[in-house]
Amino acid sequence: MLRYSLKRFIQMAVVLVIYATLVWFIFYAMPGDVTMKFIGNPKIKPEAIQKMRVQFGLDKPVYIQYALFMKSLFTGNLGISFNHYPRTVWSIIAERWPRTVTLFLTAIVLYYAVGFYLGKVIAWRRGGVADYTATVGGIMLWTVFTPWWCLLLIWFFAFKLDWFPLGQFVTPKVWMLAPVGSNFVFTRMLATGLFGPLAILVGWWGLRKVVHDSRTRKWLNWGVTAGILAISLLVWANSGLGKYALDILWHMGVPLIALLTIGFAGSMLLMRDSMLETINEDYILTARAKGLPERVIRDHHAARTALLPVATSFVLAIAFALNGAVIIESVFSWPGIGRTLVNAVATQDYPLAVGAYTFLGLFALIAHFAADILYAVLDPRISYKRGEGA
Amino acid sequence: MWKVRVKLTAKSLRANWGMFAHSKLGPIGLFLIVFFLLFGLVHPLYLVYRGSDKIYDPVVGFAYDLLPEGNPHPPTLSHPLGTDILGRDILGQLMHSTAKAFMLGLIAAGFGVLISTLVGSIAAYFGGFIDSVFMRLADVVMLFPLIAFLVALSAAIEITLFKLAIILAILMGFGGTTIILKSQALTVKVKPFIEAARVSGGGHFRIILSHIIPNVLPLSFLYMMFGVTTAIFSEAILSYLGFLNVRMSLGIMIYTANDSGYLIGSRLGTYWYLWLPPGLIISLLCAGFYFVGRGLDEVVNPRLRER
Amino acid sequence: MALLEVSNLTMHYTTRVGDVMAVDSVDFTLERGRALGLVGESGCGKTSIAMTILKLLPENARILGGQIRFDGVDLVPLSEDQMRKYRWDHISMVFQAAMNSLNPVYTVGDQILEAIQHHMPMKERAVRKRIAELFNLVGLDPAVMDQYPHEYSGGMKQRAVIAMALSCDPSIIIADEPTTALDVIVQDRILKQIDKIREELNMGMIYISHDIAVIAEVSDRIGVMYAGKMVEFADTHTIFKSPVHPYTYALMSTFPSVKGDKRELVELSGEPPNLIEPPLGCRFHPRCPRVTAVCQEQEPVFTEVANEHFCACWNQRS
Repeated sequence: MLRYSLKRFIQMAVVLVIYATLVWFIFYAMPGDVTMKFIGNPKIKPEAIQKMRVQFGLDKPVYIQYALFMKSLFTGNLGISFNHYPRTVWSIIAERWPRTVTLFLTAIVLYYAVGFYLGKVIAWRRGGVADYTATVGGIMLWTVFTPWWCLLLIWFFAFKLDWFPLGQFVTPKVWMLAPVGSNFVFTRMLATGLFGPLAILVGWWGLRKVVHDSRTRKWLNWGVTAGILAISLLVWANSGLGKYALDILWHMGVPLIALLTIGFAGSMLLMRDSMLETINEDYILTARAKGLPERVIRDHHAARTALLPVATSFVLAIAFALNGAVIIESVFSWPGIGRTLVNAVATQDYPLAVGAYTFLGLFALIAHFAADILYAVLDPRISYKRGEGA
Repeated sequence: MWKVRVKLTAKSLRANWGMFAHSKLGPIGLFLIVFFLLFGLVHPLYLVYRGSDKIYDPVVGFAYDLLPEGNPHPPTLSHPLGTDILGRDILGQLMHSTAKAFMLGLIAAGFGVLISTLVGSIAAYFGGFIDSVFMRLADVVMLFPLIAFLVALSAAIEITLFKLAIILAILMGFGGTTIILKSQALTVKVKPFIEAARVSGGGHFRIILSHIIPNVLPLSFLYMMFGVTTAIFSEAILSYLGFLNVRMSLGIMIYTANDSGYLIGSRLGTYWYLWLPPGLIISLLCAGFYFVGRGLDEVVNPRLRER
Repeated sequence: MALLEVSNLTMHYTTRVGDVMAVDSVDFTLERGRALGLVGESGCGKTSIAMTILKLLPENARILGGQIRFDGVDLVPLSEDQMRKYRWDHISMVFQAAMNSLNPVYTVGDQILEAIQHHMPMKERAVRKRIAELFNLVGLDPAVMDQYPHEYSGGMKQRAVIAMALSCDPSIIIADEPTTALDVIVQDRILKQIDKIREELNMGMIYISHDIAVIAEVSDRIGVMYAGKMVEFADTHTIFKSPVHPYTYALMSTFPSVKGDKRELVELSGEPPNLIEPPLGCRFHPRCPRVTAVCQEQEPVFTEVANEHFCACWNQRS
């Protein structure tokens, strides 16, 4: 298991290097450099442009520029943004990434939960009106033109029904006298969202080792879940940051609805196909022969095995969400990494653009890596074989 | 010999058509595609019907007939879907752009699938080093999110519709589809008759062309459908974000409206005709090709068929 | 009263090309503590009978008639909910290819525990003790109960599945080709083990196999199936020494006797019939060496030809 993880890690590092090279190449090595946009400007003298070129190191040969870039990348120095001068690229990214991650992580968890449940149920029923409507409806939403659908949702929920705000991610009025920045709240929310469920899972795992009687263990599991949830809520309420978090959640409303409707079909169909394959397995027949009730067979036996490909695609979805982030954030004016990237490219702020792309690439690679590990963990057959070095 | 082949193909086509017509999504998709194909093809006739090119040209026309009322103008009899910000007839724009979308989609996906079929078959046939090279390449191509990559590319070069088609064809050609088509090619390659063909002196490329590729083609066609969806969607997104250099397309229509601030707040409702029709057509076009792909999936992939 | 009485059982599957008459008017009985063997070619309906008894049929299958009396209760009209009480608790099954009967993501012990706790709720410690006893009974080391199926060998999986079938103390176990996937030595060992267990626990057993040798070793009575119909039913000795149905006779001739008289191998031409459109009259008549006109028109009736010896043939041997 360890050997396998290490092997994958090294592969990932290599790909990251290739990726960074490609990104750099696209932005910096193409004919016509960054100073080109100033050439037509009569106010800027040619000597000033030349000085700029020297300052940005653009007069050096290409391979030296590349070497310098790689070196600074490894030391974590992503340069200074052109447009947000004198802020460093890193500070901008650090400020914005929690916003993207909070929104998309929540969305993915939600639509996978919905997709998992729907896929499980309609696969078990095998055909019928529910199957047809869910499939056709889901696929139509999957292929819908995202900005169009988002505009429709904005118009409906934010304007017609007035349930949610029209865009942005915070209401300035609420935050005017806030003691902390939005980033602070975001990171705390993210931490709760990640460590809360993690704590619950650890609790369940611990109970499994200690308590052998499955019936009392089920009660204790629920107790642990409720307990951790209660503690989280109490901490938030006490810290006085509760209302800021709520404001953020309120702004996440329509984007989440959009992401949910667009995304659920993917996981639902994957789960359904996976279930249909699993249902034909012999051990499902054995489970029926054992006289177990339908729900137990469906959830405990079929769904559990069918979950494997879905779980992996979940982690990969995080990587692909970054594709969607570019689009969604632009439509909703959600100032996360996606929107930053688009703006940076549009305004030719190359250091920021390269920084944003590098961040995205790194995130995607980590997600792929986590997906591989997760699959190996979930399927005892694979970790066994891999562990043996087969 | 080829007469027999034609007869066999016709027979299997008829059988497959039955299965396709029975699939849940296939017929709906086909209907959508045919509908919009006709919609796009009808544009020249529409222009003739309307008469005046000065008013109705989708790019440089102007609604002189609606003066002195301003633009954008809500739907009237002479302009059934209204006019856009620059006074151009929206219905005509939609027809023109739909035709363009079809061309882009079919060219990009067509060439893309051509590449992945060839690459996949060659990789499967020769195996070894060639195989690993192409598979590693596919892994790397698949890793990059398409839209983000296109956005970055637009910073380096000016992307026109034609260039976009080529770029998409290359990305789709060397990406994930290649892996799938290679697996399909492999199932043929391991069959004994390939060995027999080689022993009887068949040249490499002749075998690939006449034995392996025909077996891969049905699956290629399926993935071409998904490719069209990707192509149309990508173009629309790129236009919407303002990174595509094209004068008129479905995505540009929405971009123009957005850029001029007509999509903010309550204006979303008032100026619905600026964004609702083009977005709807993009969605339905993408859905159409995707549905046909799913329908074909049931024909090609018997595992998922109903008993 | 016999433990299991199957009378006039008929079941068919609906497919796109027609109805498959998988089981047609089958009669047989099973006494407490006895072993019954069902033998026949692939597709003759023996597995279908097993599935029908437990009512584990797929959606396109229908029981058209007959009774399955278990301890006096007819199982045919029972609903799924009612049927679940009988499954495993009273009648359990060891499926063909036991390797796949175990869910790969749960430990073997957990899967047996699930079966036990569903029918007889007990404290987990008590269940684990019982599983250990079962493992000892089938010849498995109790320590392996916390391992996953893929960590077991083929023979171990087979034993585990048998242990699982025994877990709720059923009155009948149906074993479908229990040893086909194993090598001959393991096969022999497991067969002897199963027989010993059956005697110890006084259980009823139905063996299903195409291998007459296996059936011969473990059954008290044998039912011979052909094309969905039962053609002969008698105790093992009679079936081997004096079979009266031409098909049974042909089958037995393939079983060389080491000690007894030499027998001519009877060759049967042709193939088993298509069960969607079976031949008129006796289903065996196209291949029968003793065929006459009446065989081609009327189906023979399954009657008692001697004491506890049944056969369905117009021209049976004497």
